[in-house]
Amino acid sequence: MAIDCEDQELLDGFLAETTELLEKLDDDLISLEKSPEDADLMNRIFRSIHTVKGASSFLGFDMLVKVTHKTEDVLNRLRKVELRLNSEIMDVILEAVDLVKTLVADIKAGEIVERDLEGTIAKLIPYLSENAVEATVLAPVFAPKEESAPAAASAAPSPAAESESASEPEPAAAEPQQAPPQPAAPQQAAPPPQPKPQPVKETPKPAPPKGGEDLADNSTVRVDVKRLDDLMNQVGELVLERNRMIQLYSDFQTGLDPTGFGDDFGKLSKRLNFVTSELQMQVLKMRMLPVEKVFKKFPRIVRNLARDLGKEVDLIIYGEETELDRSVVDEIGDPLIHLIRNALDHGLETPDERLAAGKGRTGTVVLSAAHEGNQIVISIKDDGRGINPDRIARKAIDKGLVSEEQVAAMGTREILDLIFLPGFSTKEQTTDLSGRGVGMDVVRTNIRKLNGIIEIKNELGHGSEFILKLPLTLAIIQSLLVEVEGEVYSIPLASVIETMRVSKKEFHMIGGQEVLKLRDSVLPLLRLQQAFGVSEVYSERDTCYVVIVGVAEKRIGLIVTRLLGQQEVAIKSLGKFLANLPGIGGSTIMGDGRVALIVDPMGLVGGGAA
Amino acid sequence: METALTKVKSEEYGGELIQLVSFNLEKEEYGINVLMVREIIRMLNITRVPNTPHYVEGVINLRGKVIPIINLRKKFDLMENDYDKRTRIMVMEVVGELMGFIVDEVSEVIRISEKEIQPPPPVVSSGIEQECMAGVINQANRLLVLLDLEKMFTADERRLFTNVG
Repeated sequence: MAIDCEDQELLDGFLAETTELLEKLDDDLISLEKSPEDADLMNRIFRSIHTVKGASSFLGFDMLVKVTHKTEDVLNRLRKVELRLNSEIMDVILEAVDLVKTLVADIKAGEIVERDLEGTIAKLIPYLSENAVEATVLAPVFAPKEESAPAAASAAPSPAAESESASEPEPAAAEPQQAPPQPAAPQQAAPPPQPKPQPVKETPKPAPPKGGEDLADNSTVRVDVKRLDDLMNQVGELVLERNRMIQLYSDFQTGLDPTGFGDDFGKLSKRLNFVTSELQMQVLKMRMLPVEKVFKKFPRIVRNLARDLGKEVDLIIYGEETELDRSVVDEIGDPLIHLIRNALDHGLETPDERLAAGKGRTGTVVLSAAHEGNQIVISIKDDGRGINPDRIARKAIDKGLVSEEQVAAMGTREILDLIFLPGFSTKEQTTDLSGRGVGMDVVRTNIRKLNGIIEIKNELGHGSEFILKLPLTLAIIQSLLVEVEGEVYSIPLASVIETMRVSKKEFHMIGGQEVLKLRDSVLPLLRLQQAFGVSEVYSERDTCYVVIVGVAEKRIGLIVTRLLGQQEVAIKSLGKFLANLPGIGGSTIMGDGRVALIVDPMGLVGGGAA
Repeated sequence: METALTKVKSEEYGGELIQLVSFNLEKEEYGINVLMVREIIRMLNITRVPNTPHYVEGVINLRGKVIPIINLRKKFDLMENDYDKRTRIMVMEVVGELMGFIVDEVSEVIRISEKEIQPPPPVVSSGIEQECMAGVINQANRLLVLLDLEKMFTADERRLFTNVG
């Protein structure tokens, strides 16, 4: 059923606020479970649910009101210490919150779906006292004024709400909650002394976590007013510098003071440089979101997983205030969930196994984020059993992913990288959480999409750590300009691991593949000149440069003629016509106005094929 | 006001008036609806793009926007010649995308009535040039080929640039 709400603005406001509240709620609830005595936290949770209830009642979202009301009652009893919080209650509350999320997601999608509320509500009922049950049934759902419900109270009665109550045929004043925007047949048929079980439920039971994950919406931005002011200031500066430039040019043309021109121009370009970099920083900051946005759903996931797997886990989160570009934030959620699931499922042992191994019962998973130059580094570290390379190798051979000979030639790191192969799972018995045929290859694909790098640190018996290095933003990147036989290409610095000058004598051939012995590993090489069909302009030279790039867990050396230096470049699309060029990710405009192509290391490494 | 003016004129000519930009390629004259042409610029530095069809000359920086450049001579399988001071890039919007086309020379904007457009002659040889011929304009002292650039790309090529990766 489509939502009939005349006041779109009101609805948008409701969705934005509710989404925000619900996002925080998960996190708060998990914290509450750990410290049930925290009254502030308790009150905050109560207020959140209450606000959602008030607002949804105001807008006539009946189903939402029902669920939130019952949840609120349970929370109220917890708050008054009539109930003691335990994990069973928390399970039920979390389920209710999930249902709320699903309902909100439905509203957001613009389509109200009849959901099965009774199942969840029935679970809440046992935690309500006699009084509470009665109260839920009899008391009008519309939030009374004295209970502070900011959204409902602050919003003026909208034409939407008024027209809804006006169109209500029954005496609306007595039961304001009976003014639904949609014909809620079962409720209107009988006066409600009891919450009537909804008769027909063809719609499948909501899958709780799904609805919640989709809830986050990044299509609108809330920007700090101060940041906006700063931005305006910078633009003002820029205008001043432009005026100065125009002035300078007209002076120059009329021959006024031609001697000082060089000096003035030098100063001007310095200032211009300063202002633009400031401006760039400001705009970039506006696109930044704290990584918290992604991190805050993990306590919940870890809690559920730990209970399902029968493991005891402490999740420690560092650096959730670290900011990164929204485009990146949107993309890292899935890979992180996979990695965390992995850490819990494959990494950590059960409490008994841990005791036997001489460790504490409770395992620790550390999720941290930090800036490192122009990258953000996210690490997922557990103190579990670690990854056994021999087992990985055997498994890969069994599955026919690699041959014995190949494994024999591999170093430990390369063997660990095998877990990124599609269809690889070390778990003998797949659980419903991790064994859905998706796994580390999904992580790899996602990280590749972001031009990121994955590293694995592993210590058998002591745990493993997955380190993701991601660029801060996707719009402006640091890049390494290289020359390939006279043509200039730009390689994203985020994927460059190191560069080196090599004598061509050091190249070896293995099975038709040019390689370079680099310390303890063998690095496959790719001649950019051949990949891009550049005609050779320089006669044979003895030395060239190798740019070692890493895409996800892969490393490859690109052979170029010369290194030109590092530059910050703005990525320009090549348009639809040239969108699918292998190895070219876009283009950028250099200082002299020429276009330089940006190398897409992922395309060169072999895309999804390998 | 403007519409009134056009109306009078079109009555005078008998039929809808269209304006064409005419350009030369290998001594032949072509016309393109003026509404498709965004601008006409002199030759710029073109950056070669690897792994593209042979007629894609590369990309240029058009005031901060990177657009592909197509060499019409190569596209029509004509003899290649060197660029000279009359060589121009016509920037046009084709299938929703800005593209530049290198032509030998842009001559003028002409007004013709739709009536003057004749269907293209029966195809003698089937080249791409024939396929994107929308009509022929036969005037007293000149013969103009009206091009429909949207027809210039084969289905395969269209697929190439509509399925954006």
